[in-house]
Amino acid sequence: MKKYIARRVLISFLTLLVIILILFILMQLLPGSPFNDERLTVEQQTMIMNKYGLNDPLPVQFFRYLQNMLVGDFGKSYTISKDTDVAILLQNRLPISLALGGISIVLGAAIGLFLGVFSALKHNTVWDSVSTFITVLGVSIPSYVFALGLSYYFGFQLKLFPMLFSPADGTNAYLLPAVALSMTVMATVGRFTRTEMLDVLNSDYIQLVESKGVSGPRLVITHAMRNASISILTVLGPLVVSLMTGSLVVEKIFSIPGIGQLMVQAIQSNDYNIIISLAFVYSALYIGVMLVVDILYGVLDPRIRLAKGGSNG
Amino acid sequence: MDKPIEFLPNDFEFVKDADGAMIDEVYSGESFWKNILRRIVKNKGAVVGFFSIMIILILALIGPEISGYTYDQQISGHESMAPRIPGLEKLGIFDGTETLKTSTGEMEVNKYEQISGGEDVYHWFGTDVLGRDLFTRTWEGTRISLYIALVAVVVDVLIGMSYGMISGFYGGKVDMIMQRVMEILNGIPSLVVVTLLIIVLKPGLLSITIAIALTGWIGMSRIARASMLKLKQSEYVLAARTMGAKDFPIMYKEILPNIFSQLLIMSMFSIPSAIFTEAFLAFVGIGIPVPMASLGSLISENFKSLTTHFYMIVPPVIVLAVLMLSFNMLADGLRDALDPTLKEV
Amino acid sequence: MIKNKRLSLLVTGFASMMVLAACGGANSDGAAEDVAADETAGGVLNVQVDVEVATMDPQMATDGTSFEVIANTIEGLYTLDESGVAVPSLAEKTDVSEDGLTYTFTLKDATWSNGTPVTADDFVYAWQRLADPDTASEYYYIMGIAGVVNADEISAGEKDPEELGVTAIDEKTLEVKLNHPVPFFESLMAFPSFFPMNQAFFEEAGENYGTSADTLIANGAFEITSYEPAATTIELEKNPDYFDAENVSLDGIKYQVIKDTQQAMLSYQNGDLDVVTLAGEQVDLFKDDPEFQTIQAGYLWYISPNTKVPGLENANLRKALGQAFDKEYIAETVLKDGSNAADYMIPEGLAVDPEGVDFRETTGTYLEFDPAAAQEALELAKEELGKDSFTFTMIIEDTESSINVAQVLKSQIEENLDGVTVEIEQMPKKTRLDRMNVGDYELALTRWGPDYADPMTYADMFLTDSGNNKGFWSNAKYDELVNSSLDGELSLDPEARWTALQEAESIILEDAGILPVYQKGNAVMVKSNVTGVDFHTVGVSRIVKNAVKE
Repeated sequence: MKKYIARRVLISFLTLLVIILILFILMQLLPGSPFNDERLTVEQQTMIMNKYGLNDPLPVQFFRYLQNMLVGDFGKSYTISKDTDVAILLQNRLPISLALGGISIVLGAAIGLFLGVFSALKHNTVWDSVSTFITVLGVSIPSYVFALGLSYYFGFQLKLFPMLFSPADGTNAYLLPAVALSMTVMATVGRFTRTEMLDVLNSDYIQLVESKGVSGPRLVITHAMRNASISILTVLGPLVVSLMTGSLVVEKIFSIPGIGQLMVQAIQSNDYNIIISLAFVYSALYIGVMLVVDILYGVLDPRIRLAKGGSNG
Repeated sequence: MDKPIEFLPNDFEFVKDADGAMIDEVYSGESFWKNILRRIVKNKGAVVGFFSIMIILILALIGPEISGYTYDQQISGHESMAPRIPGLEKLGIFDGTETLKTSTGEMEVNKYEQISGGEDVYHWFGTDVLGRDLFTRTWEGTRISLYIALVAVVVDVLIGMSYGMISGFYGGKVDMIMQRVMEILNGIPSLVVVTLLIIVLKPGLLSITIAIALTGWIGMSRIARASMLKLKQSEYVLAARTMGAKDFPIMYKEILPNIFSQLLIMSMFSIPSAIFTEAFLAFVGIGIPVPMASLGSLISENFKSLTTHFYMIVPPVIVLAVLMLSFNMLADGLRDALDPTLKEV
Repeated sequence: MIKNKRLSLLVTGFASMMVLAACGGANSDGAAEDVAADETAGGVLNVQVDVEVATMDPQMATDGTSFEVIANTIEGLYTLDESGVAVPSLAEKTDVSEDGLTYTFTLKDATWSNGTPVTADDFVYAWQRLADPDTASEYYYIMGIAGVVNADEISAGEKDPEELGVTAIDEKTLEVKLNHPVPFFESLMAFPSFFPMNQAFFEEAGENYGTSADTLIANGAFEITSYEPAATTIELEKNPDYFDAENVSLDGIKYQVIKDTQQAMLSYQNGDLDVVTLAGEQVDLFKDDPEFQTIQAGYLWYISPNTKVPGLENANLRKALGQAFDKEYIAETVLKDGSNAADYMIPEGLAVDPEGVDFRETTGTYLEFDPAAAQEALELAKEELGKDSFTFTMIIEDTESSINVAQVLKSQIEENLDGVTVEIEQMPKKTRLDRMNVGDYELALTRWGPDYADPMTYADMFLTDSGNNKGFWSNAKYDELVNSSLDGELSLDPEARWTALQEAESIILEDAGILPVYQKGNAVMVKSNVTGVDFHTVGVSRIVKNAVKE
């Protein structure tokens, strides 16, 4: 087991390195430059590019970046927040995005789980259709429509929640954006849970448990859901990334100083260091979550570990 | 569940009936596809989903032709008109009036009465801020979104399936390398890749297609690989091999038909995510080039008028939602019908 | 109807100016009254901006939001009054030598927020830093525009920054030497790039300058109390040590970054904001509101035809394109935000002639919308070029207004000109600029904002050898007139210079070197209990430090 984990960690680390390299190359292909303001002459642009070492050969830039990154220096922002260390931006903004993402995952997963289990238990009834409908709706309407709708009704008309994000409002400030953001999570988890639960409920061992006289909540919670949840874990990894799409949109609408918005802005203004750093953070987050899920999966279900080892050999 | 076992009279009828059915099934020589079709038709969800998609498809094809407008025709004076539908207008709905919630009070306006010759003008879904007919644009946009759906399926099947099958079939070093490559592709958030790619390639339908193609197939290749791993050790493959079949015929002639249904279902699930990727790109401003429209770009375009002219965003949202719902229902139905044991991964 | 609208705009503009003038009068008349007003007024002004502050370093800043926030905290030699005229701020007295080549400024007594007095050295330090190529400020060419001795040589790395033509005669006297007379020099002094910087504080903060409230210094009306890089909220508090503190009524300002305009409007209606900018889509809902107003901005949006592209070297074809779209329609129906149709190159409200009359009132209009004339010009062009159909790609940036305007341009040009097709290619702004820089485009929808209140800020762009002349348009007579007005013979004679610039405008537009579309306007809402928010076409586009909130 230890060997398996060590191997997975090493592979994840190498993957990250390659990802940074790919991002670097993409960055070179990106048309435009951070410093092509209308008012600058070509010589001036070259000069500014030199100041930031952007005219150096790619390998030089790449290794310099790696070296700096190891000591926590992610470079400076070129346009969005001139000459500010990207590390400072990350430090200020990452916690907010993580908090928002975290709340959304928990909220979405809880509702999704409930809907999924409910649906499976009432399989092929009206209730099943209703909850399926809700989950599908969750993936069918873009999150910005949700976000503005929530803000309009709960913020503007009912005045229950603040419309603009302010850390001073505490949990209240996170609530509306988190609800808007959790729709995708809810939908995905809901649909997945339903399928998984149906599978488990029809399985031999549940029938065995049933025949032993276990029924009701105990059957569902301790026997069925426990088994279903192992595989539900797998969807959570990709969901972390899908949250990124949503967070970008939701952050824009609620004026949340998170990293989602920063990303698109950086891509559009060629703020290379921000793009790479954020993409790196997302990749690391994703790969990290996948790693944890993988290991947990292995711990929870030894069959998987064996199969994996076999196929890799 | 501690009830004693009860025997009912109809327990005994079952055998006879089943027997009859069995005979039918085995000896009618029903083909694989006929069998599948029969099972799909039995599934209500799949049928409803299929027909809604068909209706949307037909509307997308004929909608822009029957409206009397073209999708990029800007009629000066017709900006921001509320929906007006012949017939329904007599009932007091869809008669072209809308309520503007201005800061100085609510105001009911009917732009059809303000323009000359407005009595004979009908915009079934209203018009946008540039005076373009939304009915035409919605169906025109549906075409693009359906095209993207098609691309997603084709790419999924061609690239994802082949990649996964090859990786799984050969195993060993090939598998190792192919899996690492996939992991890397998967590790970069697809939105970052898609956005960067589109800017690098110049925004346009082609680059959107390429971007979706490049990132969309990974889920599929996983399933294909897993199924391949399961099947490649089976006896019938061994049999084919001993009879001298080469690698590719084995893969495509022997194994593929057995896992195809699973892969088809999987590809259905990639459609919604492809359509959504496109919608996201539209929101970021690098979607389909104007004046063309997709459902996603229509939503993000009309989103800006949400608090002013609410009706503008409704048609694309509804069509998108129905389309997504239908694809999901069809995929779910297919899964139930074809392979009750498949799990979504 | 359109005319009426314009008229009413003018009237409101006038009325508000009168009100503002009245306020100003009261302020200078009785300080006692002010103090009384201060007690009832005060309060914090909540202002919406649509993008984060890029930097608080006055010498590095390039964008409107950064300028606006900086101008609240740092005062320069001059500032803009409510009508946009540069008036002395830190400059107590300005002496100009007879040849117009030497400016001597005597400074007022003012202090930085760290307790040290504002001295002439602070200006020398800031200006040298701006011109220094090592600073690599994107705005350092403006020192050359100002004509300061050795500015261009320093930028080119030929001379040391210490040789810049600016010296501190003593603690309170600053002397600036120019290469040639610059008629708009004083108006440039209100531009944030020329603001002073306290060397000791700046160098102590080093790289961290402007990363938090503690690493920011102020000598102006407000001090920053809450800030972080790319913050979505910035809080400012009245600076008690400001030399003109008694005329500052507000207790503080809070900037809030809101990018989604609908959310911004909801917040405004909710009472969270006092000043907000609307998108065109929302104007329908608010245009009758007494708090609604439209403001003319200095930006000119125009189509730049690349004259190196086959077909576009033909003046008739360019003219046909330039007259084929309805600018009024674009301004009134598509943009709705107070933008005006531009049948000109030098924007309205930018510069006044030696008699104080706006440039636009002293000269005519060009390239008006005229489908018949456009079609006629097209026929000529077809003959001259021996071609019947033309297809051009227009590159645009991916902002909402550009996208909408471009779609109308395409539709109208295609409708009014037989055989002309326009394809739209949209891309991020940085990409569009890059394409234009290397001349890789056919038509481009682009814009230019003025740096200073003089027609030259537009005219010098289209000189044959100008780096901003992306379309390679060239005219010998134009070059002669503009060069001479820039630093030649004409620069010494304001009257003749003015006439020359008028002629230059007519040359470029009659040859359709650029195809003007509209002059940008802004639709804004200001709460009725707030007065004194000034909007300007040049330099700092919004000044709120004089605002009063009751």
